Amino acid sequence: MRSGPLVLTFLVGTTLIALFFIPHHNAQTINAKLLEWATVVYAFALILGSISLWNTHARKIRLKSDGWPYSIVTLVALVVVTALGVGQGVGEGTLVSRIYNMVNSPLASTMFALLAFFIASAAFRAFRARNVEATLLLVTAVLMMIGRVSIGEFIWKGFPGFTEWLLDVPNLAAKRAIAIGVGLGAVSIALKIILGIERGYLGRSR
Amino acid sequence: MGAELDTRWFDPARTNLLVGLLLFLAFLAINILRAKRGGSIYIRPLAGLKALDEAIGRATEMGKSILYMPGLGDMSEVGTLAAITIMSRVARKVADLGCSMQVPCYDPVVMAIMDGVAREAYVEAGRGDEFKPGSVHYVSAQQFAYVAAVTGVMLRERPAANIFMGSFYAESLFLAETGNLTGAIQIAGCDKVTQLPFFVCACDYTLMGEELFAASAYIGREPVQLATIAAQDWAKAFAAAMIVLAIALSALGHPELGRLLKTS
Amino acid sequence: MSWMARILAIDRRLIFVLVGLGTAIPLLRPVNLPITVTPRVEAAYQTIESLPAGSTVLISMDYEPDTMAELQPMSIAVLRHCFRRNLKVIVITLYPAGPGLVEPALRLAASAEGKERNKDYAFLGYKSGFQTVMIALGESIRQQFPVDFYKTPLDSIPILRGIDSYAKIDLVINLTASSAADYWIQFAASRYHKPLILGTTAVMATDYYPYLSSRQILGLVGGMKGAAEYEKRMDIFGDARRGMDAQSLVHVIIAALVILGNAALMMTRKAA
Repeated sequence: MRSGPLVLTFLVGTTLIALFFIPHHNAQTINAKLLEWATVVYAFALILGSISLWNTHARKIRLKSDGWPYSIVTLVALVVVTALGVGQGVGEGTLVSRIYNMVNSPLASTMFALLAFFIASAAFRAFRARNVEATLLLVTAVLMMIGRVSIGEFIWKGFPGFTEWLLDVPNLAAKRAIAIGVGLGAVSIALKIILGIERGYLGRSR
Repeated sequence: MGAELDTRWFDPARTNLLVGLLLFLAFLAINILRAKRGGSIYIRPLAGLKALDEAIGRATEMGKSILYMPGLGDMSEVGTLAAITIMSRVARKVADLGCSMQVPCYDPVVMAIMDGVAREAYVEAGRGDEFKPGSVHYVSAQQFAYVAAVTGVMLRERPAANIFMGSFYAESLFLAETGNLTGAIQIAGCDKVTQLPFFVCACDYTLMGEELFAASAYIGREPVQLATIAAQDWAKAFAAAMIVLAIALSALGHPELGRLLKTS
Repeated sequence: MSWMARILAIDRRLIFVLVGLGTAIPLLRPVNLPITVTPRVEAAYQTIESLPAGSTVLISMDYEPDTMAELQPMSIAVLRHCFRRNLKVIVITLYPAGPGLVEPALRLAASAEGKERNKDYAFLGYKSGFQTVMIALGESIRQQFPVDFYKTPLDSIPILRGIDSYAKIDLVINLTASSAADYWIQFAASRYHKPLILGTTAVMATDYYPYLSSRQILGLVGGMKGAAEYEKRMDIFGDARRGMDAQSLVHVIIAALVILGNAALMMTRKAA
């Protein structure tokens, strides 16, 4: 039963690997087409996602779960914005575009701005000298925080240079090592999926 | 037409990558054969994965749910594939213990696949009827809309355990810190190096980088899966040896190996 | 409860108030702390500076409103630099919310440097597909963007005459907060061998140091600090330089809190 998806995964996976090594313009056209198909599949999957979103919030409203009035707001927004988008389009000057720029964008910026507060509370709680590694982490973090902003140079002229060295030498060495490990891990998991060794994505643990 | 059309059937500049890939496949084949012949393969303990069982057990005792977040990647991200394979095992454990699980998804394709994976896990555990439709659900494909929804779930429903597995971006600290506020046990696994410090600070256990990819093999303990981890380690050792050799040879005035290893 | 225990158990809302004040006060009462231009930003600056007048630059502004605080000042500074050097600028975006940010940046930079749309720069708008677009730009820009953002056919735009692919583009600049940078490195720099400069958020910037070190990218502007350095280099006083005072004070507050927390922890241990 499951051999269909496995064979398909194998064929598409090996094709994409082969296309990486083949610069022929026809091969690259096929590569671009496959990437386009992925975008099309995503578009259809958005319909599934919308249905899931509707069902989740409709259930919350029906059962009057915690926060159910917000579910009404969500569903009304979903219907109204979709209707406006289908009716008027989403180009510049349309209502959807205005809603996006005046509501969605400021909300997203505000949420991102909250990170500054979370970083402060996380740093205060987590940067404690409990052992050697934690002490090293906290000392480096404090030096980087001061050295990377204008006030560091104010305190000591050599601070920016020192933090640049920290970034260029120990940090870069560690980043490269982790990147090689992650790269090999990614190749390993991709090959496992292409060769059918890993079938978890099909719902089978074996 | 802009650029001249390329009519080559092989890019010689990528020969070194092809050799690397074939070498990796060879390592894979050797270790799978070793595993099938009964050879034992050792994997060092990963605290985060051992804690998964503890987290699910704790949630069952407390009568609370598990919140599993597969990250913000789509199906083309290897981190997401790792998150899906880990979730199938977590879902199996959750089904076995009769606990409950919620999986809010960022990507609709990932949601569709995870829904199927979760259902299959329940069926395999003999508890197909207990699977709650809607436990795997789509939230939003907007980063901070997703964060707002998930943090709302954390604060309202107070799950006993938050599991973050996959590709996370700027929202990582947001999610982890909010989860920390609720007192949940938190286990994270992320392949994005920039987000690891935030998870390390705010979570109880963190799988770093490739540990996330090793997780599904580690949990299942199947010989063939463990063999792939061994192959990965062989490839890493080989890469390290080549780098050291290339640096040494370059220092001695022979940069040829370094040039061979360069990619374009 | 001793004062040490009180500090260790400090209400996080107090921390939030301190951070809030640390952000607001310098914005209301600027101090104008000194800024030194780092080698990475200088490298980006020199790459643009070394282009002869009339060269063509493709700028992809791939970010959304949540990261505009770091990337918008950077975009404006880079655009103004390109305009000052009399370069032909083609701007695209691969994010749906991108046009809402690109347009104001272009308008501001163009009016500051006295440049005109279609004559000195063109904005082609948003196109979905990431890698598909980057690969397709190697074949034909017009196939991907038959008209610009304002629905003008590309053939009618004076600065785009004769430019239809990477072949005629002298430099690619990507300003992004996402993995778009990885794809630009993979396609524009590696496959099509185009010189590439990146502008990213501060958190992501260190990920690209290896690429800078291996010359796969020629310059890197990271975060608001990088944007402030670029503004300093351009001798303009924009939002990034304005924001550096606030960023400096907040960093000091966090560092002070960390030191205070550790001092309290050590005293608690000694007392025990």
